[in-house]
Amino acid sequence: MTALTGPVVLAGRTAPSRVLFGPHETNLGDGRALSERHVAYYERRAAGGAGLIVTEAASVHDSDWPYERAPLAASCADGWRAVVAACRPHGALVLAGLGHAGSQGSSAYGQRALWAPSRVADVVSRELPAELEEREIAALVAGFAAAAASAVACDVDGVEVDAGQYSVLRQFLSGLTNLRGDRYGEDRTALLVEVLAAVRGEVGDGRVLGLRLSCDELAPWAGITPEHAVSSFAGFADVVDYVVPVRGSAMNVSATRPDSHTEPGFNAGLCRAVREAVSGRAAVVWQGSVVDPGAARAAVEDGTADLVEMTRAQIAEPRLVSLVRAGTPERIRPCVLCNQFCRVRDSRNPRVSCLGDPGSGYEVEEPPVDLPWPGTGWDAGSGAGTRSGGGSDAGVGVGAMSDAGAGFGAGAGIGAGSVLDEVLVVGGGPAGLEAARVLALRGRSVRLVEQEDVLGGTLLVAARLAGRARLAELVSWLEREVRRLGVRVENGTRVDLADLDPAASVLLATGSVAGPRAYTSDGPVIETRDLLAGLAAGAQVDDLVPAGPVLVVDPVGDWTGAGTAELLAAAGRDTAIVTQDPVIGTQLAITGDLAAANTRLQVAGVRPHKRAALRRVLDGRAELVNVITGVESGVDCSVVVHCGHRLPSPTPTGLASAGDCVAPRTAYQAVLEGRRAALSLATSPRVLGRV
Amino acid sequence: MSRYRYLFSPVRLGPVVVPNRIVFAAHLTNQARHGLPSEAHAEYYAARAAGGAGLIITEEHSTHVTDWPYEKLVHGFRREAIAGYRRITDAVHAHGVPIFAQLNHNGGQASSMYSRLPVWAPSAVPDPLFREVPKAMDHGEIAEVVAGYRTVAAHCVEGGFDGVELQCSHSSIVRGFLSPVTNLRTDGYGGSARNRARILLEIVEAVREAIGPDRALGVRLCGDELIENGTRIEDAVEVARMVEATGAVDYLNTSIGVATSTLFMIEASMAFPPGYALHIASAIREAVRLPVIGSGRIKDPAQAERALAEGQCDLVGVVRGQIADPEFAAKARAGRAGDVNACLSCNQECVGRVGLGRWLGCVVNPRAGRETVVLPTPRRRGRRVFVVGGGPAGLKAAATAAGRGHDVTLLERAAQVGGQVALAATVPSRVELGELVRGLLAECGRSGVDLRTGVSVDAGWLRAQAPDVVVLATGARPKRPWWAGELERVVDVRDVLEGRAAPFGEVLVVDELGFHQATSVAELLADRRASVRISTPGMVVGQDLGLTLDLEMFTIRAHAKGIAQSTDEVVTGAWRAEDGGVLVDLHKHTTGVTVQQRYDWVVCAVHQDPEDGLWQELRDAPFEVHRVGDCLTPRRADSAVAEGHRTAAAL
Repeated sequence: MTALTGPVVLAGRTAPSRVLFGPHETNLGDGRALSERHVAYYERRAAGGAGLIVTEAASVHDSDWPYERAPLAASCADGWRAVVAACRPHGALVLAGLGHAGSQGSSAYGQRALWAPSRVADVVSRELPAELEEREIAALVAGFAAAAASAVACDVDGVEVDAGQYSVLRQFLSGLTNLRGDRYGEDRTALLVEVLAAVRGEVGDGRVLGLRLSCDELAPWAGITPEHAVSSFAGFADVVDYVVPVRGSAMNVSATRPDSHTEPGFNAGLCRAVREAVSGRAAVVWQGSVVDPGAARAAVEDGTADLVEMTRAQIAEPRLVSLVRAGTPERIRPCVLCNQFCRVRDSRNPRVSCLGDPGSGYEVEEPPVDLPWPGTGWDAGSGAGTRSGGGSDAGVGVGAMSDAGAGFGAGAGIGAGSVLDEVLVVGGGPAGLEAARVLALRGRSVRLVEQEDVLGGTLLVAARLAGRARLAELVSWLEREVRRLGVRVENGTRVDLADLDPAASVLLATGSVAGPRAYTSDGPVIETRDLLAGLAAGAQVDDLVPAGPVLVVDPVGDWTGAGTAELLAAAGRDTAIVTQDPVIGTQLAITGDLAAANTRLQVAGVRPHKRAALRRVLDGRAELVNVITGVESGVDCSVVVHCGHRLPSPTPTGLASAGDCVAPRTAYQAVLEGRRAALSLATSPRVLGRV
Repeated sequence: MSRYRYLFSPVRLGPVVVPNRIVFAAHLTNQARHGLPSEAHAEYYAARAAGGAGLIITEEHSTHVTDWPYEKLVHGFRREAIAGYRRITDAVHAHGVPIFAQLNHNGGQASSMYSRLPVWAPSAVPDPLFREVPKAMDHGEIAEVVAGYRTVAAHCVEGGFDGVELQCSHSSIVRGFLSPVTNLRTDGYGGSARNRARILLEIVEAVREAIGPDRALGVRLCGDELIENGTRIEDAVEVARMVEATGAVDYLNTSIGVATSTLFMIEASMAFPPGYALHIASAIREAVRLPVIGSGRIKDPAQAERALAEGQCDLVGVVRGQIADPEFAAKARAGRAGDVNACLSCNQECVGRVGLGRWLGCVVNPRAGRETVVLPTPRRRGRRVFVVGGGPAGLKAAATAAGRGHDVTLLERAAQVGGQVALAATVPSRVELGELVRGLLAECGRSGVDLRTGVSVDAGWLRAQAPDVVVLATGARPKRPWWAGELERVVDVRDVLEGRAAPFGEVLVVDELGFHQATSVAELLADRRASVRISTPGMVVGQDLGLTLDLEMFTIRAHAKGIAQSTDEVVTGAWRAEDGGVLVDLHKHTTGVTVQQRYDWVVCAVHQDPEDGLWQELRDAPFEVHRVGDCLTPRRADSAVAEGHRTAAAL
C-alpha cells in the first residue's frame, strides 16, 4: 500500500516521504536573497522527514517585487545552494519555487508599473497594471527559463512554477484578468504552455518540474472553474512531474490558505478530479489546510492524491513525518489553523512563526527545544543540545530522544550526583504548560498546579469562539506531552502565592483578570472570557446572557470580538457590535479573515456600530458616540458583552513569571515566555545537594 | 538676505552655534539596515545640510531592547551603531552644519512583534494603535531604561553628534509617564506632575552626565495630546519649566498629538493651515528662556520667517519642506524662494510610505530617500528630445532631460500644463497639489525646456522632426463603466471638474479608486448643495486617505456636509428613470442583496484608459520612444513624476 511516510519517485529522484513543505512567504530573507534563516528553517523540516521542500517563490524577473523580502531569482543562487546542502543529507528533495506576482505585486518597492495580461486593477491594491506587450511576454518566459537554469546550476532537485494565488501565470489563465485579443487571449493557456516548455528545457528530465495551479478561482462568472481547469489543464500533465491544484484568486486571496473558519482538506474533491483527469501522467498533490496526518495518510491510500502538501502543519511540527513514521502521531504538535503568525504577507514584514511553536522561523537565534527524531541525521550539535550546555553528550543521545526525555540534559551544567529540586509551575494555561513541558524535556521534575479542573487556561476558553474550536487541540497536545513527560499535574489546586518561597524553583503563569472598561452600565456586563468559560463548562448562551438585545463591546478588534458576536448571533440573540475602527475586526487582516468575518457578521444580522465608543448604558439604552465626529446615538441594550483588554493577575514580585500574568497577550507570547522561563530555570537550577 | 531678518541669523543652543533657524527635525525614514544606521541615512541628511539647513536632528535612536515598534528602527543601544553615526556626522559636518541625534524609547506605543519581549510602559494601558497590553515597569526596569538613555547618549558623542534630543513628545515612554492617560502609577513616578516628570528629569541628568558640557541637550515635548484627559498645553508648560530648572538642557522642541492616536494632527495634511501647531511653541516660549523650536506644516520660507518675527519660536522645524527640496534653505537665502519645489503636504509618499514600513519618498522629489542611488551618466548630451504631454510625467521628464544637457521640446495639447494634477487642484480642499505643477513648470523654465502649449501633434509630425528621443506622456482618458451605457447622467469625476457636467440633486459617487478623486468630487458637489452618497466595493470609503492622514478630517467634513457613505457595494446595472434620473442597481456583495436606488446623477471615480494612440503608432519608430505616467497605465502622481524622472535620467 502506498504510504504517506514512504518514498516516492519523481523524475527519477526519490523523495523520502510523500509530504511536501510548500512555498510560502517567510520574511526570513536578507534583502531579496535567501538567508541562513531560510536554510535553518528548511533544514529543520527536512530533518523531520519532509519529502519535498519548495523554497519561497522567487521572482523570475526584476519587474516583480511583490513584497519587500520577496526573493529575486537572480539573487538566490547562494541560498538555493545552501538549502540543498543542508537538506539533502536528510533525504528531502529541494525544489526552487519560481513565480511572478503580476498585478498582485506591489509597485512600492520597484517603483515600476505592474505587469499583467490586461489592464485590470487588482482587487486588493486597486492599482492598475500595465498590459504586457509581446516583447515583455518574451522577457517573462525568458525570466522563468533563466531562473530555472540558475536553480539547476545550484543543483536543486527541481523547480515548482507558480500559477496559483499570487501569479501572473494564473492571471493569464483567467477570464477575470486576461481580456487580451491576441493569441495569449484566444488561448489563455498559451503563456503557461510556453513557460513550462522553457522551464522543462532547462530542468531536463532528470529533475522535478512541479506546477502550482489555481483550478478554482471561486468566481465562476469569469474565473477559472474546476470543470474548466480539469479539462483544459490536463494537457499540462505530460510536461510536469507533479501538480498542486489550489483554489483562489485576487478576488479571494485568503481562500487559498484559509484559517480555521474553513474546514480542513477542502480541496479533496478538486484533487480527486484533477488526479482522475491526469490519470497517472503526473503526480497530484493534495493542498488546502491539510493538517491531520490521519487524513493525509488516508488520502494517499484511497487515491485522492499521490502526495500531500502539509505546509502549516510542518511549520507547527517540523518532525511531523518522523513522528508518524515512529507510530506516535499523537506527539505531533497540531497546527490549529489560526493563521496568526504564519501568514506574513504584511507590510510590517513579520517573520514566519507559529502560535504553538514560537521557535518556528527563529531556528538560528533560538535552537529548537524539541528533540529531533533519531536517525534523521540531524545530530544534537545543531539542535536542542547546544542550548542545554556542555558536558552532556551522553544525555543528548538517541536513547534520550526516544524515551520521553528521561535523562536528557540531566547533566547539563551541573555536577554529577547533584539533586535538583522540583520546579513548581503555577497555572496550567499555555505558558505554564509549555514551561512544564520544556522543563520536563530538560530532565527536571515538575509539579504543575492549576486552580481549575481542566488545563488550558484562556487558550481553552478561547476555543469556544466561533470558528476557533481547533485551539483546543493545542491544549490537548500540551496536556498529553506534559503527562507523557511525567509532569505531576494537580488540577483544582489553589496555591497561595504569598506563601511561596522566593528561593524555590517556581514559575508563575497565573493568567489574567478582567480589565477596566471605558463606560458605565446600570445593567449586566459580562466579560467575554466568563461567557466562554461558561460555554466550555456546558452552559448555553441563554443561561449566561440575560434576555434582550446584546451589545458586544470590542475595543481590540481581533478574533475575540467578532467571534463573540458571531456565536451570540448563532444562538439566536439580537446582537450589535461596537468598535472605534472603520471596520469590524481590523486585526483580522493578519489571519486573512477580515473580509470573511465582516461578511459572516452581516449575513448573521449582527448590527455594526463603527467608529463608535460606548459611553454608558442606562435604562436599557446604550449611548454611543462617534469617535471622529462626536455625533451621539443610542441603541437598545439589555446586556453588554465586554471583549476588552485584560490585566495581569496580581503576582508577588521577585518570582519568575510568564504569559498573561506578565502582560495579557496571545498564546504565542505565553508559549514563548513559558519556554524561555523553563530554559532559564533548567539551566540555572537550584541544587539541593549532593547524593 | 534683506527679506529675511530672522531666518538666517545664527542662534546658540547651549554650546552649539546653529548658523540659521531652519531645522531638519527628527522624522522616521525607514533607512536603517538590520537595526543600524545606513549609508542612505548619511546621504539623506547630508543633502539637506548641503542645501543650507541650519540644524539636522536625526530620526530616533532606540535606547533599549524592549523598544522595537517598527522594523527599521535604529538600535542606538548597540555599540555597532557608532560606526554609522560617524558616517552620518562626518557627511553632515562636511557642510558646516551641526547635527543632533534623537534618543527615544517608544514605551507602550509598540508591540512585541520584533522584540519578542513584553512591551514596557508606566502602566498596563494598551496603546490605541498597537493594542498590546504592556508590562507596568518596576523600579529596576525604570532604572534600566534611564541607563539606556545614558548609554546611547555616550554612543552619540562617540559617533560625533553635536548634541542629543530627547523625544518626549508623540511616541515616547517619557510622554507615557507624563500623561495621566497612560500613567496610572501610585508610586514616586505617578500622581503629581512632579512625579510624572520624574523619569524625564532622571534621564536629563543621566544624559547630560554622558554628553558632558560640550554637547547640546534638547527636550521635545508634546504640547497637547489631543486626547481625552491627556496632556494639555498648561501641563506641557509646567514640564517645560521643570526641564529648564534642571539647568542641564539647552533648548526645547515642541510637537502636538500622539503618534498612535492623533497622528493626523502631527503630520498634518493640506487640510490644516500652515503653522497650525505654533501655539504650542509660543506658549512654551513665553514661559521659559530656553530657545524653542516650533513646527507644523511650515513649508514656505516666508511662513518660517513670520513665525520667528512674531516671536512664536526661535527656530523652525521644516521637515517635509526639505524632503521635497533639500535646497529649501539655500534657495531662500539666495532670494530664490520661488524656485523651491514646495511640499504639497499630500503625505502620499513620505507619511504614507513610512507608515507601511517602506523607505520615505516624496511625490515632488523622486530623489528623496534615494540619495545614494547614482544617476546614470548621460550617454550623450545634446540629444533632441520631444516630450509629448505636459502633465506631471511629461514636465518632470522634460525638466530632467533638459537639466542633463539635452535639447528638449515639450508639447502640450491644452492651453496650460499640469494635466490631471492641475485639475485635481481645482477642488478647494486640494489646492496645494497645484504646487507640483508650479514647481515643475519653474524647473522646466530653469533648465531651458522649449515648452509649447496648445499644440497637438501626431505621429507623422514627430517622425518628420527626426528626433533622437520621443517621450510620450500623453496621460489618460475617462473610461465609462460597462454598466453606464449611453446614460448622459452617468459621468466621470473629470467631467465634473472640467465643467462638462454639473450634477445636482441626489448624486451617487461610485468609488473604485479609494483615494481623493471620489471624496474630492463628493465634497465639491455637496458644497454646491447636492445630496451626495459615496458608494464603494471596499470596506471603507476613501480607504487610502487613511495612509495620507486625510481620513479623519474627511469624515468630519463629510458629516458636516451630509455626505452619506456605503460600503461593500458594486453597481450591477443602471437605467434611465422616467423623470430623467438614473436607477442604479447596487449589489451588496457581502449579503448578496441587491437594491435599486434612484439618483439624479451618478459620478464615477473609476480607473481610466491610457491615451496611448501615439505609442501604438510610434512603438517601432526609428528613434527611441518611451512611455511615462498614465499613458503607460493610469496611476497616481508619484508614479508619473518618478517615471518621468527615471526615464529622462537614463537617456
